[in-house]
Amino acid sequence: MSTTQKPYHFLIRRAHSLLGLVPIGLFLTFHMVLNLSARGGPEVYDKVIATMQGFPGIFIIELVVIFIPIAVHAIYGTWVVYSGQSNVLRYKYARNWFYIIQRISGLYTLVFITIHVYLMRFSEANFAALSEFLRQPVGLVFYTLGVIFAIFHFVNGLWAFAITWGITIGPHSQKIWLYALVVVFILLSGIGLANISAFL
Amino acid sequence: MAEQKTIHLKIRRQDDPDKPSRWEAFNIPYREKLNVISCLMEIQKNPVTAEGKKTTPVVWECNCLEEVCGACTMNINGQGKQACSALIDHLEQPIVLEPLTKFPLVRDLMVDRQIMFDHLKTVHAWIPIDGTYNLGSGPRMSEVKRQWAYELSKCMTCGCCMEACPQVNSRSKFIGPSAISQARLFNAHPTGEMNKHERLAPLLDEGGIADCGNSQNCVRACPKDIPLTTSLADLNRETNKFALSRWLRK
Repeated sequence: MSTTQKPYHFLIRRAHSLLGLVPIGLFLTFHMVLNLSARGGPEVYDKVIATMQGFPGIFIIELVVIFIPIAVHAIYGTWVVYSGQSNVLRYKYARNWFYIIQRISGLYTLVFITIHVYLMRFSEANFAALSEFLRQPVGLVFYTLGVIFAIFHFVNGLWAFAITWGITIGPHSQKIWLYALVVVFILLSGIGLANISAFL
Repeated sequence: MAEQKTIHLKIRRQDDPDKPSRWEAFNIPYREKLNVISCLMEIQKNPVTAEGKKTTPVVWECNCLEEVCGACTMNINGQGKQACSALIDHLEQPIVLEPLTKFPLVRDLMVDRQIMFDHLKTVHAWIPIDGTYNLGSGPRMSEVKRQWAYELSKCMTCGCCMEACPQVNSRSKFIGPSAISQARLFNAHPTGEMNKHERLAPLLDEGGIADCGNSQNCVRACPKDIPLTTSLADLNRETNKFALSRWLRK
């Protein structure tokens, strides 16, 4: 640790934390809810996709609100994963497990999103194509894990977010926030799984 | 616990920081109420391994023998603990002793924790008092505040939190929970508060508070039950306010 002032370190760590919620976490929630349209059948879903893709300036919005924040969060997050050294086999505490699962889920989500974006944005994006992909067992497992891990990473990230921003300071408030987030995780995962099942 | 005839110890030995480590087993006649240090003293008296091979006495460090100095901290059955307060009757056997892994090794179970003291200097973990003339008495500290601040002052810089922290390792510069908690202690003091900025500014640097990974192992590992995670969260709030305010005034 040097004595020279390099406030960029603090700034980038805080930016990394903030990006996880705004816009990435909010986008994830919006994305999950919007995809419920798939439960209305292929016509409704394809119409929603077409509407979204026909939105004026969608490319700029996707770039600024989705792509750049996720890229920054993922690249810096990968460095964060590298700078840690898990010791969960020696210190088998629940939060220590969450620490390592947060990192594993982050890395998995990065791989998942890359393939997901490639499939949905740069090749044919419609109900039939995704349905075909999800009917393969490997595709189904890959997607289900991706959805669950992405939601876990977001929700567990929110738990740490409240500490990083000095909101939940004591152990009691941290525990109450954890209980609240368990409910959020169950709700979002329920929506995510309902989305996937719509394509089967 | 059923009475045992012998105490089995497995100790990771290393003659020199550059030499490879090796395991040596020792059997010690059982006596009641021994601690790890008294076992190491038995080995010192008769340095013979369980296989009957003569060896050198095991090197370790200890001082107060009452869990207030932190010198005898080592990995006991895989977790950082003080050897003085680690009672044999409470430990699973064979008792595995290893040096702390987050500090440079000196020999056997002895490590150099200098880096922790350097970190205390980094965060200005002291209160500047009289210089060349008497500054007079400082402001009073409220009793309520004194009581919780006392809990933080129990830190003995033993390194258990550093050992348990996944963010403290050779790839990271994280200064660890103890130094950060000490910054909170001295910021809480009415006189120390006057130099708050000197403790918050270094926490914004690389290795500072933002490198915490929220595994919360530190608070579980701390032998003095110091609310380390509360200190970290509290200083998160303080450093956020400090960084924003400093930037807006630039």
